[in-house]
Amino acid sequence: MERISPHQFMTLGAAVLLGTTFLPVASMVTGVSGRDGWMSILPGMAVGIPYGLMVISLLEQYPHKNLLQISETLLGNWIGKLIGVLYILITGYFGGLLLAQAGDIYQSSIMPLTPLGVFYLGGLLLVFYLVSSGIEVFARFSELIFPLIVIALVLNVGLSIPRIEEGGLLPILSEGILPLLGGGLKVEPFVMEYILFLAGLLPFLPNNKRELGQFKTGVWRAVFLVGIMDTLVVLIQILVFGPAETIRLVYGLLVLGKMVEVSRTIAGVESIFLGIWFGALVIKVSAFFYTVIWGLETVFSLKGLKWNLVVGVVFMGIAVMYTRGPSLIVEIGFVDDHLIFPFASIWVLTLWGVTRWKKGTSGL
Amino acid sequence: MNLKSNWLLKWVFILILIVGLLNLTGCWGKREVEELAPLLGIGFDLGKKPGTFLVTQQFARTKKGASSGAEVEARSFSVEASSAREAIEKIAAVTYRKPFMGSLKVVIIGEDVAKEVGFTNMLDFLQRFSEFRRSMYLVLAKGKAQDILNLKLRSGLLPATAIKSNIESGDELSNFPTVRLGHYLTILSTKSTSPILPVIESVKSGEGIEYKAEEKNQPEEIRIQGAGVLHEDHLVDFLTDEETKGYMWLDNDVLQRLISTTELEETPKFGGHVLNSTTKYKLKTNNGKLELQYQIKTSLAVDQILDLKKQLSGPEWVELLKGAEKSFAKVIEKECESSIKKQRELGCDFLGVGRHIEQKNSAYWQTIKEHWEEEVKDFPISLEVQVTIHHSGMSSSSAVNSTGEGQE
Repeated sequence: MERISPHQFMTLGAAVLLGTTFLPVASMVTGVSGRDGWMSILPGMAVGIPYGLMVISLLEQYPHKNLLQISETLLGNWIGKLIGVLYILITGYFGGLLLAQAGDIYQSSIMPLTPLGVFYLGGLLLVFYLVSSGIEVFARFSELIFPLIVIALVLNVGLSIPRIEEGGLLPILSEGILPLLGGGLKVEPFVMEYILFLAGLLPFLPNNKRELGQFKTGVWRAVFLVGIMDTLVVLIQILVFGPAETIRLVYGLLVLGKMVEVSRTIAGVESIFLGIWFGALVIKVSAFFYTVIWGLETVFSLKGLKWNLVVGVVFMGIAVMYTRGPSLIVEIGFVDDHLIFPFASIWVLTLWGVTRWKKGTSGL
Repeated sequence: MNLKSNWLLKWVFILILIVGLLNLTGCWGKREVEELAPLLGIGFDLGKKPGTFLVTQQFARTKKGASSGAEVEARSFSVEASSAREAIEKIAAVTYRKPFMGSLKVVIIGEDVAKEVGFTNMLDFLQRFSEFRRSMYLVLAKGKAQDILNLKLRSGLLPATAIKSNIESGDELSNFPTVRLGHYLTILSTKSTSPILPVIESVKSGEGIEYKAEEKNQPEEIRIQGAGVLHEDHLVDFLTDEETKGYMWLDNDVLQRLISTTELEETPKFGGHVLNSTTKYKLKTNNGKLELQYQIKTSLAVDQILDLKKQLSGPEWVELLKGAEKSFAKVIEKECESSIKKQRELGCDFLGVGRHIEQKNSAYWQTIKEHWEEEVKDFPISLEVQVTIHHSGMSSSSAVNSTGEGQE
C-alpha cells in the first residue's frame, strides 16, 4: 500500500482545507458577522484541530483502516454500511458541485466565451490523472502547487493594500461577540470537508509513534496556516470594499485581483492568480473524487479504472446539472451547511466517543 | 487484468492528450488586439426620450501615419439608449472592431443625469460585467458629458486620457477628491455618508485662464475643480473650490498642496507647499455634548513671501515664520469651516462625520443613526489646526534694498 510522509500529509491536508475557500469565505462570514467577520475565521477553523486529532487517535487504535471500516467495526455492519453510503453520496455530490464551480468562476471572471464543458472536462481530466496515479503523486502535486497558491494569495492581498479605505475595520465588536459565533459556524463546513477527506486517507498514513506525533502537528499546522490565509483574505476585502460590498460580491477576491495595479503600469494580473487557483480547485475536486472511490471500495468492494470512470461521469453529470451560477452557489452552501457539517461532525464525534466508552468499559 | 487496465490507462492518457491538443492550442474566444476597439471613456447624459440616456463612448484608434502604435486619436460615438448594455450593443453595430471594456479609464456623469434621474442603474453594468475594473475614475461634468468627450484639446490628448492624467497628477495639488468606481460603491453602501465626485468642466480662453485657441470661442482645455455632493446617486449641489479644499483636509486626502495666505488681510503674505499632512479626529465632550474634533497637522515649506520690506535678523526671521504658521493655519481653518458650513446647509454628510462617530463611539451612533439626516445639520464639529514650517526655501529675507544704499 502507498504511504505519504508527514510533510505530504500536512501540505495535502492544508491544500484540501484551503481548496477554493478563499473565494466565497469573505462574503459568507461578513454576511453573518459584519465588519468583524475576519475575526471569526481562526476560531471557526480551530475546531478542525480537535476533530483532526480525534481522527488521528482512531488511526492509532485501528491501524490501516479508514473511518468507514472503523465504523463497521464499532457500530456494526449495517450502520457502518449506511454511513458509507451517506459518505459516498455526500462527497460525490459535493465533488460534482465543486467541478461545476470551476466553470462558474472562470466563465464569470476571465473567460466568458469558453463553454462551461471545457472547464469541467479540463478539470476532470486533471483530476482523473491525479487519481489514477495514486495518492503519492497527488500528495506530491499538492506539495508543488500549494506554495504557489499561497504565494498568489499573499501577492493578491499585498498588492491590494493601496486600495484600502481608511477606518474600514472600525468599530470593532460593535455588535458584541455573538455574531462572531455565527461567522465561525459558517467556516465549520470547510473544516468538515477536510475531516471527510482525512477519514478516507487514514490507511495511507504510517502509524508508528513518531509519525503519529508528526501527523498531529500536521493537523494544527494545516488548520492555522489555512485559518491565517482565509483571515487575511477576509480582512483585505473588508478593508477595501467595506462590509456591505464584501457581502454583495460573489467572488470578491477576483474583483480585488482585477484592481491590482503596480505603479500604474502593470494591471490585469488576475489571470495569473486564477491560473494558479485552478490548481487549488483541482486538488479539492480530486480529494472528493478520492473519498468517493475509497467509499465505493470499502462499502461495495468496487474498485478499478471502470469505477473511476463511472465516478468521473457522475461528477460531470452533476456539474452539467448546475450551469446556473446562483443556483450552484446556493446548492454548495446548502450541502456544506446541511449535509457535510452535521454528517462529519456527528460521525467523527460518535466514533471517537464510542472508542473512548469501549476503552473505559474494557478497562473496568 | 493488470495488463488490461494498463492498456486502458494508456488509451485514456492518449485521449487526454488529443483533447488537450485540440483545446489548449489557443484561447477560446480569443480576440487579437488589432481586432479590438479599446474603450477609454464613457459619458452619460439625459436622452431626449423619457427613460433614455445619451451614452457617449470614446474609443482609441491608432493614428494614421503615427511614428508608434502609442499615438492614438479619438473615435467617439453617442447613442440614445435605456441602458449601458443597450448603448454598447448599438455602438458595436457601427464600429468595425469589437469594443473592449477592460481599458475603460473614466466615467463621466452628465450634470442633468446626476440632477434629475440618478445614475446607479447605468453603473450597474460597469460594476457587474467582468471586463470592467473597479479602479476606473468617476467624474461629474458641469454641463454635458458628451461635450467633454467630444472636445478637441490643444494638448492633442484624448479627453478621456487627459482627464485620467489630470486625476493621477492631482496628488500634487490635492485640490479635488480622486474617486474610483470601487470607492464610490463603498461609500454608497455606508448609507450615512454622501458620495462626492470631482467636477470636470471645459474651459474657454478667458474663463479664468487665457490661451490661444485654434477655433475662436471653442473650449480647448479642461479643468477639474470643485466637487459635486450626491444624495445616493442624485446630485444635491456643487462644492466651490474652497469647500472642496476644506473637504480634502478633513478627509485626510492632502498629500501635497500649494497654499497661500493672500486672501488674509495680514501682511506679509506667504505662499507655501505642503510637505505632508495628517488629519485625525476624536469625539470629545464639550459642555456636556459630544462633538467631533478634527486635528490637522501639516508640515509646510514656505516658497513665497510678499510685502516683506526689510532685511530680517535671525530672531526676526524665526518670529516671522512663527507668524506664518498661524496665517497658514487660518487659511486651512477657513477652508475647513466653509466645507463644514456647506455640509450643514445641505444636510448631506459628505464629510463622513457619521462614520467617524460610528468608528469612535458605536453605542452613541446607534442612538442617533436613524435620524442622522437631521442631526448632521447641527452636530458640533471643532477644528484644531497645527502648522509647522520646516523651512523658508533658499533665502531668509526677501530681496529688498533695506539700507537705502544708492538712493541719494
